[in-house]
Amino acid sequence: MSWLVGQASRLYGVRWVTLPPLVGLGVFALIAGALVVAPRESVEGEVQRVFYIHFPSALTAYGALFVVFLASIALLWTKDMRWDAIARAAAGVGVLFTAFTLATGAIWGRPIWGVYWTWDARLTSTLILLLLYGGYLLARSLADPTDEQAARYGAVFAIFAFADIPVINMSVRWWRTLHPQPMVVGSDGPAMPIDMVAVLVIGLIGVGLLATWLIVLRAEAELLGVRTQALRARLDRRIGA
Amino acid sequence: MEGELVYLFAGFAVFWAGLLGYLVWLQARLRALQAEVQRLEERLAEEVTPLEAPVGRAGSSARVAPEGGA
Amino acid sequence: MTATWAVLAKDLRLLWRQRTGWVSAGAFAAMTVITFSFAFDLATADVRPLLPGVLWVTFLFAGVIASSHSFSEEQEQGTFDALLLAPAPRTALYAGKALANLVGLLSIELFVLLLGSVLFNVPLLVPRLILVTFVGTVGYVSVATLLSTLGAVRSRAVLLPVLTLPLLVPLLIAAVRASGEALSGNPDGAPWLLLLGVFSFWSAVGAALLFPLVVEQ
Repeated sequence: MSWLVGQASRLYGVRWVTLPPLVGLGVFALIAGALVVAPRESVEGEVQRVFYIHFPSALTAYGALFVVFLASIALLWTKDMRWDAIARAAAGVGVLFTAFTLATGAIWGRPIWGVYWTWDARLTSTLILLLLYGGYLLARSLADPTDEQAARYGAVFAIFAFADIPVINMSVRWWRTLHPQPMVVGSDGPAMPIDMVAVLVIGLIGVGLLATWLIVLRAEAELLGVRTQALRARLDRRIGA
Repeated sequence: MEGELVYLFAGFAVFWAGLLGYLVWLQARLRALQAEVQRLEERLAEEVTPLEAPVGRAGSSARVAPEGGA
Repeated sequence: MTATWAVLAKDLRLLWRQRTGWVSAGAFAAMTVITFSFAFDLATADVRPLLPGVLWVTFLFAGVIASSHSFSEEQEQGTFDALLLAPAPRTALYAGKALANLVGLLSIELFVLLLGSVLFNVPLLVPRLILVTFVGTVGYVSVATLLSTLGAVRSRAVLLPVLTLPLLVPLLIAAVRASGEALSGNPDGAPWLLLLGVFSFWSAVGAALLFPLVVEQ
């Protein structure tokens, strides 16, 4: 366990050297794979290539929201306010990628379904996700970043929201369904050609790295914000004394 | 064919433009916060050892301001 | 157990003392129903398909206003901080608060159902609809009571519904569908009342477990 923590902190120490080139490489592979390597889809045509961004964005958004969930539990457990900075950072990035998922989906939907938006089950539940975590970010940004009570409130909300996701998905699915059935992981292997799956996996790695980098950057900013508040409070006390 | 490519372009453009915008915003925020932390720390250091009275404080904050902006 | 009853008795007394707040929430609910009937012209056509939505939107908005009001008043007077110093378990504090809110909101809802029966000429006080209303309100109140502990944050009154309503989407869908079933008498195809019950149960359990973590000082 302590070995793992040591490795993790050493990995964190070299983040500025390792992450940007890896992200650059991943992004380059994603663009090349989506636009050049992947074959033209016979039914949907070139528009289908948007999927190589849409699908990784969706999974990455879920991943980031899972990080919010874990960081919120860690905050309640350890009472270390750095977890709150990580939770806020991951929530910001999660909301960003949820918005990308919705935007690319709408752009794909216009030529294929004939409409940008429809009240289909997955579209609706993704929109609710955006509202949930947008509300979380709004609540956290209205409170002082050093306010521990507000941070705990946010953590409890994030845990409740994450536990709510499966219920939202189920209730909305019973409500209505139009979204294409999952193509990537079926019961008897992937339902799409192998080179498409390869491009998707590359896209997933690329977008995942990108999101990790963004979360690290944003957490850095949140921590600086906390430090600014603390310094300001100390200065006020000194001047007042 | 033409119409198809427009949607493909739009899909990619939204994603990359959004990312670029987010990065630029984040970078600006990091810069501003770093400058703020530096300014506050300098002021705090001055408050600990007040060499001269309010005049010096006003003069020093005027001196620090352009550095923070750079 | 005695602590829970003491807290509940305290909260019920508080409910009575804050009756102006609850009466305004009830008046707000009545006004919402009347506004809906102007907007949709609910008096003429067959209103049964629209009524479940009208009722639940009214319940949700009235509930957000009422629960937010009841907590913020207690916080302003400092009684809540005093209560945290008492040796009662935090879960008991939550249970008392939630039960008092439940009593208050159920009274408003019964009033709305009565008003609706008269205005729309549809018998709304039927056992099945009352059951759906009760089960849905239990889930709703447990979430709203937890989230109403949001401290003295800027624009609190607007923030609370923004946080509460997306969490309650499953409850709203299930409650509207189950109420529709209760009013029309034809089953809908999905076990909505079951979903509503499970959601309400888990919300109550989850909120009771998480409440002590929020109010910790």
